Amino acid sequence: MATREAGKKMIMLKSPDGMEFEVEEAVAMESQTIRKMIEDDCADTAILIPNINSKILSRVIEYCNKHVPTTGATGAAASDTVAPAALAEDLKIWDAEFIKVNRATRFDLIQAASYLNIKGLLDLTSQTTIDTISDNSLEEIRSFLSTKNDYLPEEEQTIRRENQWAFQ
Amino acid sequence: MASPPPPPPQVNLIDDVVAEILLRLPPDEPEHLFRASLVCKPWLRLICDPAFRRRYRAFHGAPPLLGLLHRTQVCDGDPAARFASTTSMPDFPHPDSDDCSTRPLDCRHGRVLVRMFHGPAVDLLVWDPVNGDRHVVPNPDINVLIYTAAVFCAAAGCDHLNCHGGPFRVVFLATDDHEEVVKASVYSSVTGAWSEPVSLDDSCECYAQHKRDTSAKRGYYIPYVQPRRVAAIGDAVYFTISRSTAIAKYDCGKNRLSVIDPPPPDTEVYGGFITLMVMEDNSLGLAGVKDFSLHLWSRNVNGAAKWVQCMVIDLEKIMPMAKPLKGNGANVVGFAEGLGVIFVSTTVGLFTIELKSGLVKKVDAPGVYFSVLPYMSFYTPDRGRLLSLARLTEH
Repeated sequence: MATREAGKKMIMLKSPDGMEFEVEEAVAMESQTIRKMIEDDCADTAILIPNINSKILSRVIEYCNKHVPTTGATGAAASDTVAPAALAEDLKIWDAEFIKVNRATRFDLIQAASYLNIKGLLDLTSQTTIDTISDNSLEEIRSFLSTKNDYLPEEEQTIRRENQWAFQ
Repeated sequence: MASPPPPPPQVNLIDDVVAEILLRLPPDEPEHLFRASLVCKPWLRLICDPAFRRRYRAFHGAPPLLGLLHRTQVCDGDPAARFASTTSMPDFPHPDSDDCSTRPLDCRHGRVLVRMFHGPAVDLLVWDPVNGDRHVVPNPDINVLIYTAAVFCAAAGCDHLNCHGGPFRVVFLATDDHEEVVKASVYSSVTGAWSEPVSLDDSCECYAQHKRDTSAKRGYYIPYVQPRRVAAIGDAVYFTISRSTAIAKYDCGKNRLSVIDPPPPDTEVYGGFITLMVMEDNSLGLAGVKDFSLHLWSRNVNGAAKWVQCMVIDLEKIMPMAKPLKGNGANVVGFAEGLGVIFVSTTVGLFTIELKSGLVKKVDAPGVYFSVLPYMSFYTPDRGRLLSLARLTEH
């Protein structure tokens, strides 16, 4: 295993379009999928991340870098000097900036977070879409998410009638 | 280089994204999943898929509050036969009929326990509002004067996230009208029979002491079981007797009744309105309101058991709108385990307080409340026309 400096184990992540990213093992382990591979000793020097292109993978790594807990030998100082509440507030502001992306990128990020199993990133990337579903009419949801309505008009009517309370 | 993890199947990618999003729709607002299932049929199929529904329940943990019934004190008569919805769903139709009056006793594990009075004949009904199941349970073999009862899922290894159908137990705790003692009996849906009732007697030193103290004060003693929802922890069921001056325990495993050490200082300060709770660490808790402040007590059982006041919440700060114009008339009338929610009744209405966040919500109109029976269950679109359509369009 490559090591860049004492105490920091490094790992190589490869995207299918041939890009390589060297990241700290602790950062990569924010992904439960990668953590499991490392713990099961399935990871050697590099891990290929299928179906996640370099553009999205670099954003995911950026997120993990920011969210990796700053504890342990190297990061102890950060949590000693900054109050947890202030850290959380800082992360919230950072997250809000991070998620200012277009819809296609957001869906790619949801998909990547789902595959890599990164709960925080999943919660963050899903929230805007959850709000869309919660706050809009069916027609608006369909057009927003480019989903085609394949219900027959009479099917839709029956369902609306059966569950009136949900469509008021 | 390490072999990569198996690639996710290309065709399901969008499904994965949709599933991750739908998974996060709040279960206490069931309309969102119903609306989402009408976006398109692939979404409907996903939502009705048992694997998705299992994930959904596991993701949210405790089943949400869908509604409530409630019990009143004997002198107040029975409340209206009504399942009061706390969501945008209409009330589930209450199972009463013209020739029958009803008294709800408990809600737990997806079921409602109701005592049904058909003229002189009396029995119990275990009712599942979500799937409509009804089971009639005969009356226990106790001459009941005043009582409480609880219904439990009896399925082995159940996580109680989705208890519908399956075996159940009913625990009945009553003051015997003839013998003037507290008795307990358990019904099993598997055997269809009640257990031989056991009595609370002086072999429990705490009970003997409580009896002596109360007799000395009042000149007589009858252990009245209060018509209040029980708190269940592990194999034990806790309930209050004698105007909340003592807490009794029925140990289901040992089939034994006892009285535990007396509750914290003096429950009289809460005007007789207390609620037994299950604390986050699975210890027994107790809540009451004094001077518009909510007091929470926890029974610490490490070493010698003792009550510790673990929280005081100034209700003036979190629910000023609920403060009655006159006096301090706020009462704790219930607790929803798993959700960490307390029910408080004032002259302005019935409110829930989420203990962790302090979030306050009005859930019903003002009324006479003594013990709220919260109904918690997931309510998802896998029913009626939606379910048949989902099955019809499966690939």
